[in-house]
Amino acid sequence: MSTTATPSAVDPHRTRNRIFVAAGGIVIAATYLYLVLFQPTEIAEGGLGQSSLIAIVGYVLGALLIAVGAIHRLPTATIALVPVAIAVNIVVGQIATSLGLPVYLDSIGTILVGVLAGPAAGAVTGALTNVIWGMTLSPLALPFAVTAVVIGVLAGYAARLGMFRRFYLAPVAGLVTGIVAALISAPIAAFIFGGATGGGTGALVAAFRAIGNSLLASTTMQGLLSDPLDKVITFTIVLIILFALPSRFRSRFPFVRQYNVFGKALPASETLGAPKSTETIADGPAPTTTPPKED
Amino acid sequence: MTTTFYVDRPSPIHRLNPVTKLVAMLSIIVIVFAIQLWWVAALVVLVVVVPAAVISGTGGRLLSLALKLLLPILIVLVLIQGLFFPEGTTVLAQWGPARVTVEGLLFALGIGSRITALVLCSLLLLITTNPASLMTSLSKNGMSPKMSYVISSTLQIIPAFQTRAESILLAQQARGLKLRGNPIRRIRALLPLISPLILGMFTDVEERSTAMEARGFSSTATHTSLMIVPDSVVQRVARWVFVALAVASVVLSFSGLLS
Repeated sequence: MSTTATPSAVDPHRTRNRIFVAAGGIVIAATYLYLVLFQPTEIAEGGLGQSSLIAIVGYVLGALLIAVGAIHRLPTATIALVPVAIAVNIVVGQIATSLGLPVYLDSIGTILVGVLAGPAAGAVTGALTNVIWGMTLSPLALPFAVTAVVIGVLAGYAARLGMFRRFYLAPVAGLVTGIVAALISAPIAAFIFGGATGGGTGALVAAFRAIGNSLLASTTMQGLLSDPLDKVITFTIVLIILFALPSRFRSRFPFVRQYNVFGKALPASETLGAPKSTETIADGPAPTTTPPKED
Repeated sequence: MTTTFYVDRPSPIHRLNPVTKLVAMLSIIVIVFAIQLWWVAALVVLVVVVPAAVISGTGGRLLSLALKLLLPILIVLVLIQGLFFPEGTTVLAQWGPARVTVEGLLFALGIGSRITALVLCSLLLLITTNPASLMTSLSKNGMSPKMSYVISSTLQIIPAFQTRAESILLAQQARGLKLRGNPIRRIRALLPLISPLILGMFTDVEERSTAMEARGFSSTATHTSLMIVPDSVVQRVARWVFVALAVASVVLSFSGLLS
């Protein structure tokens, strides 16, 4: 693919997009810090001050800025992957709910894209998953877009750091991602939803409230009970799937080759030049040299 | 199951420019979250959502969808905040660790009214707006064509994916896959479903990206749209009025005049 080789030619607004991504990150971090450090004092009178406004505007704006800035950097091959990954997120997430599983499993596609195509692609997949979820299943998914962005970014950096080279490292990356996801989404659950994000999670929040914890502390503890477990399982599932795939599928992605995500030293022909051309050559003359029936 | 909430009707609300409706929805959500008075949210629903739903002829669909989405959340909200609100001082009833307090119920009313307004406004936008024309007009207003490609294409492939997932699940069950048992067993049962789904996804993506490249997808020149979305000066002015109202409500909220 010619576009993967020349990313600078594809992106005429490189600086602008970097500023978007950086601004998005700053807005998200500032929103979280503000909400944690200046917890509303009006809660005793039944109000929240500006906390819910800051939570919804800050998080949605930050997630949008990152998605808008990151999507320009993606080559066409990655853009074509994103819709399918979002569909995997939504379809598997729905099946997990209908089977009555205790985990969400709604970020398999996001993590897969993050690992194969990098943090920017993971962020775009995460953000747009929640946009699509909001357009097709429930608009209440939109405020949580920021969590999905963070999950995609962390999956990308975990892959870059080599967490997918050993089978026991990926669950560790899942644990860290789950903890960060729980911390980031706690203010949304507390200040936008009042802790009422679902039946089971709501019961946990009520239990923590009954002991006398603040609302934010209760949703944080509830998140820390459910998110890390879900992400450990999801990262493990993604790892199993990726290692079950033929290695030529995985090494097709420039990000995988550049950071040696799966740790296997690739043949010189694949690391140096176009893997596509070697494939077409291998596929082309196959019927003449070897009989196609092998089984 | 349906892909989107969109219901096609010949109404003036449907004919509005999608960006106008989007700006109106976002501004109303900002206003409702900035001004923390439950009756503001109720007023928005009565003055904006109800008339618009009646004019567009989608009231029944809006009501049934909103009830399905909101009822479970509102019940849980009232149970949590109504019964367990340690900051509350005016106790109405007490039963073990659960205390019904006036403050807790007021808190639930505040949160509940805002979530209700949020869900009703966004559902109304989605019910009355064709996703394709929303994407077209957003692209015209500067949104990246990559973004609109991803959103439109996902909306189209989700039903195909659901069918594929169902047939894989049936095929694996025919081979003896058990979907019952303890949670760990059920999670393990998902693996034989997910692997073929993702393998299929890789082969699809290869073909699609080649086809997109061949049609100049990554070209940075201005794209010409096949679909023409009507717009008017009145709507352009209305959009700025909505933005101004939202900004004013935020300023009002932070100035402390309301408390």
